[in-house]
Amino acid sequence: MSAPGPDRAEWTGSSLPTQVWVLTTRSLRAAFGDYRLVFFGLLQPVVLLLLFTQVFAGVGALPGVAPYAGYVNYLMPATLVNIAVITAMGAGAGLMAETYTGVVDRLRSLPIRPVSVLLARTFADSARLTVQLAAITGAGVLFLGFQPRGGVLGLAAAVLLATVVGWGLSWVFVAIATWRRNVELMQAVSFVAMFPLMFSSSAYMPLASMPGWMRAVATVNPITYAIDATRALALGRPPGAAPAWALLLALGAALGAGAVAVRNFRRAT
Amino acid sequence: MPRPRIDAVDLGKTYAEVTALTGVNLQVEAGTVLAVLGHNGAGKTTLVDILATRVPPTSGTATVCGFDVRRAGHEVRRRIALTGQTPSIDTTLSARANLVLFARLLGAPARAARERAAELVELFGLTEAAKRPAHTYSGGTRRRLDLAACLVGSPQVLFLDEPTTGLDPVGRNGLWDLVRELARAGTTVVLTTQYLEEADQLADRLVVLAAGAVVAGGTPRELKARVGARTAALGFPDAWSARSALDRFRQSGLAPVLDPGGHRVSAPLPEAGRLLPLLRALERAGLDVVDLAVTEPTLDEVYLALHHAAWDLA
Repeated sequence: MSAPGPDRAEWTGSSLPTQVWVLTTRSLRAAFGDYRLVFFGLLQPVVLLLLFTQVFAGVGALPGVAPYAGYVNYLMPATLVNIAVITAMGAGAGLMAETYTGVVDRLRSLPIRPVSVLLARTFADSARLTVQLAAITGAGVLFLGFQPRGGVLGLAAAVLLATVVGWGLSWVFVAIATWRRNVELMQAVSFVAMFPLMFSSSAYMPLASMPGWMRAVATVNPITYAIDATRALALGRPPGAAPAWALLLALGAALGAGAVAVRNFRRAT
Repeated sequence: MPRPRIDAVDLGKTYAEVTALTGVNLQVEAGTVLAVLGHNGAGKTTLVDILATRVPPTSGTATVCGFDVRRAGHEVRRRIALTGQTPSIDTTLSARANLVLFARLLGAPARAARERAAELVELFGLTEAAKRPAHTYSGGTRRRLDLAACLVGSPQVLFLDEPTTGLDPVGRNGLWDLVRELARAGTTVVLTTQYLEEADQLADRLVVLAAGAVVAGGTPRELKARVGARTAALGFPDAWSARSALDRFRQSGLAPVLDPGGHRVSAPLPEAGRLLPLLRALERAGLDVVDLAVTEPTLDEVYLALHHAAWDLA
């Protein structure tokens, strides 16, 4: 081994956009590097959707769902949001897994802004999420009889909205991951948060069919806004203020949790 | 006179109720190799972590390359590189891809980053491993990649936390050569170690840490002078000749100790010149020497000697 030559250009830092770009492509390469992971990552929600639409086919006859002409039309947009929520939870676990491999340790000793490491993480997850959502929408149309009345534009808007919601929510889990670097705790928190969030919403049943207290919870559940907005856009129904609320909540979560995450990230354990 | 590369004043770190580091004063110039010597838990890693801006100090101040580690951490990180005790690389990427990534993040254009990565792959003997993902590497290869990652830029200060742990003798010698060469080119190297021999081989200056405090500092030569230098151990064919040899040791001005086994005699060796007269005296007495070893003091002996010195002063 010998030392590097002295006539080399001195590199002492890169711009924020470069940092985010380089780190995002790195994560994407890792995310799409293993085709088996990509395949099963796409298959998983399709299986879930198939089970739900077949087991709960009878739900389609309920008064609140009947106008949708089939439970799949009611469920499909909610599934987009559901997948976004699951991906968001994975962001925290993914960040911690990287901390264990040591690469995050190296990144923290480089002259780069902590926010670019976290931004790249969430951007790469969002890119993967978009591909996943597009694939499951396609599968729904081809194999499950999903009829998106909103057309290609409506579907694209729905996928985009679900992606932004997932992106915003992922900051909450990234913030938890930087706060307590503990995988078990992270999983426990995700599990406890996930089921109430999804089920106490308009995802699987219309609010009108729920008992009063649950209806109250579902009405204030931010996920309900996201699902109502996605559903309206995909099915070509008037969305009202739901998309605006969903975007506002996602942005709020990103800013609030993002500030906490960036502050925590610099500190070593 | 230019400011020292590292300037620490009364540096301390307390975790909850544990004092990890206390009252450390340190000045290290450009092109100097500083060895931080100490047992596990003596505060070596804490000191490196503070200087490399990984953890903030709880008391005192430190500047690295003229920038305060607490207030201008980003500026410090532009000028340093660090290898911790566990390799910090992306194990899903190949050696080459890792090096390209770090070069890009340091601001190298894509093409220059690839060239730099190729150069380092060659330099660190990673050619064979360059295309496989790093999780398939052996421990030694990962360490080499980790070191290569430190040299993607041109750090003014390089921190190496127990860099030779887990390296084979060949790898260790390679690393020592590299450290010497970097120091010659003007890089300040701070390395932690548990071995006086390593510090002696590499360091221009060293500090000994115990329980978070500096208990000794100076050049390796100064420290060895305080500690009482090396030990000579001679083996004899039987217990009788070993006993007879004790007198010859004393006549040569040495303080011999007979091994419990009875066949070996050892004595502190204040200077190397005392050895030859001793051997001649043994030869004249017709005593065969079947084994001879001169060893550097271990870290334990350093601690012990420093401890005694403290008692003598009290």
